[in-house]
Amino acid sequence: MIEVKHLVKTYPARGGILKQKPVQAVKGVSFVLPDAGAVAFIGESGCGKTTIGRILTGLESYDSGEVLYDGVNLTRLPSAERREKLRKVQLIQQDPYAALNPSRTIAKTLMAPLALEAKRQQKSKAWMASRAREVLALVGLNPEVVLPKYPHMLSGGQRQRVVIARALTVEPDVLVADEAVSMIDVSLRLGILSLLLELRNKHGIAILFITHDVAAARYVGQDGRVCVIYQGEVVEEGVTDDLIQSPVHPYSQALLSAVPVLRGLEAPGPDRYIPLGEFQQDEGTACRFAPRCRYAEERCRTEKPRTVPYGNGGHRHRCHFPVARRVVAEPLEVNS
Amino acid sequence: MTARTPKNNAAPQIPPIHGESFLRMSWRVIKAKPTRVIGLVIIVVFALMGIFGPLLYPHNLPINPNAIYAPPSLRYPLGTDFEGTSNLALVITGARYVLFAALMAALFTVVFGTGIGLLSGYLIGTTDTVLMRITDFILTIPGFPLLVVLSTVWNFGQPVAMGFVLGITGWGGLARAVRSQTLSLRERGFIEAARGLGLPGWHIVFFEILPNMGPYIAMNLLVSITGAIYAEVGLFYLGVVPFHVNNWGVMLNLAVFTGGAMESAKALPYLLSPLVAILLLTLGVVLFLDALDEIFNPRLREAA
Amino acid sequence: MNASEPYSAAVGAGITIRNLTVTYHTDRGIFPALKDVSLDIRPQTITGFIGESGSGKTTLAMAIMNAIRTPGLIASGSIYTDGVGDVLKLQGESLRRVHGQHFGFVFQASSNSLNPLKRIGAQLLDLGRSHGIKDPRILLKEARALAERMGMDGDRVLTSYQHELSGGMRQRAGIIFALVLRAKVVILDEPTTALDMLSQQAVLEIIRQIHEERGLTSIIITHDMGVMAEIVQRVVVLYAGRVVEEGPTQDLLQRPRHPYTKGLIDAIPRITGDLAEAKPLAGSPPDLATVPTQGCVFRDRCSLRRPVCDLVEPLAQPAHGDGLVTCHGVNAHD
Repeated sequence: MIEVKHLVKTYPARGGILKQKPVQAVKGVSFVLPDAGAVAFIGESGCGKTTIGRILTGLESYDSGEVLYDGVNLTRLPSAERREKLRKVQLIQQDPYAALNPSRTIAKTLMAPLALEAKRQQKSKAWMASRAREVLALVGLNPEVVLPKYPHMLSGGQRQRVVIARALTVEPDVLVADEAVSMIDVSLRLGILSLLLELRNKHGIAILFITHDVAAARYVGQDGRVCVIYQGEVVEEGVTDDLIQSPVHPYSQALLSAVPVLRGLEAPGPDRYIPLGEFQQDEGTACRFAPRCRYAEERCRTEKPRTVPYGNGGHRHRCHFPVARRVVAEPLEVNS
Repeated sequence: MTARTPKNNAAPQIPPIHGESFLRMSWRVIKAKPTRVIGLVIIVVFALMGIFGPLLYPHNLPINPNAIYAPPSLRYPLGTDFEGTSNLALVITGARYVLFAALMAALFTVVFGTGIGLLSGYLIGTTDTVLMRITDFILTIPGFPLLVVLSTVWNFGQPVAMGFVLGITGWGGLARAVRSQTLSLRERGFIEAARGLGLPGWHIVFFEILPNMGPYIAMNLLVSITGAIYAEVGLFYLGVVPFHVNNWGVMLNLAVFTGGAMESAKALPYLLSPLVAILLLTLGVVLFLDALDEIFNPRLREAA
Repeated sequence: MNASEPYSAAVGAGITIRNLTVTYHTDRGIFPALKDVSLDIRPQTITGFIGESGSGKTTLAMAIMNAIRTPGLIASGSIYTDGVGDVLKLQGESLRRVHGQHFGFVFQASSNSLNPLKRIGAQLLDLGRSHGIKDPRILLKEARALAERMGMDGDRVLTSYQHELSGGMRQRAGIIFALVLRAKVVILDEPTTALDMLSQQAVLEIIRQIHEERGLTSIIITHDMGVMAEIVQRVVVLYAGRVVEEGPTQDLLQRPRHPYTKGLIDAIPRITGDLAEAKPLAGSPPDLATVPTQGCVFRDRCSLRRPVCDLVEPLAQPAHGDGLVTCHGVNAHD
């Protein structure tokens, strides 16, 4: 279980002649990722969702707040122990091609972490070899075909499966999937998503799913929670299907409206709307979304909304004027 | 995709297939083009010359007062020098000093340059700053004049000494290049993944980062060899380094300043023999370089 | 606006492709990237080319502009477009003029199609000069109008470098380049692939609006059925260099005939409804080097496979009214 409390991360100003302002990427984010659970962070590029994933996997430090792994704050542990704990949280990156070393075969890529694991568990070389085959089979690849290959010889979907197999070599408790399917052919995405779902259901691996694609998040974590993040702040969170069916924050509504509607099979939601313009990152209003919000009023520009519950299903939001709207598409009856 | 098919592993406990061996793969790449084979043959011939050349002839090469500056003939395929010694024998026996010193210089350059570049780029921070200041210092030392000065106090009779001085002044550029490549590689996804898997730093540096610079480093090794040959032959030619042993640079010097090869055609074979040797070796290196990129880059190596 | 909306066939530029075969010549042999493709692209409609990587969708778009580069080669076929004639007969200067003035091409947002060292405006002027535009002011005015039409600050965009623009803005800048010379046919290569959902919807909406306003013939290349469903009027499904199905979007989505099309639709994770209905598409995308030379190219991934599929390549048969399907497993009369 991972508990995150009031996480804050600021990237320092870049030095040099052109001084840039420090960028606050994450502004007080809290959430809980239960064992074998699923939490999805959805938002646009640059909203801070990637930073959260990198902090959880130990690739990035944080300024304040707390991250508890099974109740332990790792910053207080000696570095060897910290590394040991962090190994159980594996990152699945967006670009599977960059995530694999182009000059090493899949066999070598898998054997390196397995050698460490074998040393730790006093296992033999033969164990390593059979384990390499096991993890590849687990992600739906044929070990004998894939092992001797270099990454460039595989398709995007196969590469991402190899990346997941490599993460599985250390028997992780948590996978952080950062846009893990966005660079893969749409036809192959569902295969990866169902693999992640299977790892959750059969192997009890919790998944933190970072994405801009709400439908993908729903597939992996229908029973989990969704946090909608805007400019480093969680603006709305709730149980996945609850939030998808009745979002109350206008930004969640915009994101959900943006999911393509399969015309002919689905009808667009009655309240669907899509903001067309491009906006400045920070226009200094109290509610950060106000400049893009079609429902914004004067109060939104002057008074910062606080996180408050909506109903009693653990649904929370950060909006002065919450109204549940139906923005997502609805399935049509099709007689073929 | 015509990847090499794994040998059939029926029992799952047999370790994974390691594909074909590095040597076999290299040979496959080299023989794909005849020019690469020619390059390799030339390099091998010169290497053999350097190793065994002096063993083929007596320590003091025979002189022949009747055949001073003789033109090429059956007995003297490359003609003779001012004492009537065979130029071919001189080129062959002189190869050891030149090639050994050049190899030493290239090894120094590559080991220092790569090592310091990798460390600097991977560790960043203070280590990087210190190492790069040292590198900048080395880069500002003009190597050739330094050698001229050093030669007045140092006896360059041993090729190792010559190689060391050439190498120690030459690694700066490579270190800078390796560092900048390391800096960009360490941000790549697979390095972050390796760190996330808890792989140790030495593994990341030597097994994840270094192989990606393989083509660049191997190319540098060969190019530094030819560079070092030019530098040392130049030193001997200018006569700033005392002659202790026979080598190509000494031959050039004597042909021009003693034999008057610039004015008379008589000493021309004496001048041309070492020059042709250097040209041939350079040609071999250039022809072979083409294979290196493919050997170290699996993407180019896609089985033809 | 939907697929059944009438269009006037007389205006705008239609494209007629007949028996087009494109081969790729590599060290490993000669592979057909497109095989015997015949297709009508209707004027003033948005047509979508959909398929996985290696399906030939980008090759088809490049062939339409006669812009196939080595190692690719247009082996046979003809491509007629209104007002130009057979594009494949053009070469040199006349071909260059057709690019830009008849065909506008919008590169993928993720690809670095813009010069990183030059401002957008300067690059537009270069484009104008190379097409013999006498008055650069008209060009810039047009570009500014287009930028503002797409919800951007025109002056800001023209004075920006590529890195100063967000992904969505860069994609819009690409559209400016494609349209500024008043092209009649616009080809967009994966216009939304690198964008997040909000920018994707915004860009699609802009493409739709501009398409309407200018009476364009638009072609969108994508691997995303969702994008298709949102904006495209007719869908062309490609697999391993063959057109396997073609028809109006709504009918094709509701009643896909080819098992591949059905697989693509079933593989979309949906925002509502039963998740168990989503089924991953089996197998790997086609690799040109291993595509069977005899019989149906899709048979290894197919649920309707039968003995004839191993031997005979299926022929196109009518479907979806004025569309087609290429499969042994579907009966033309049902």
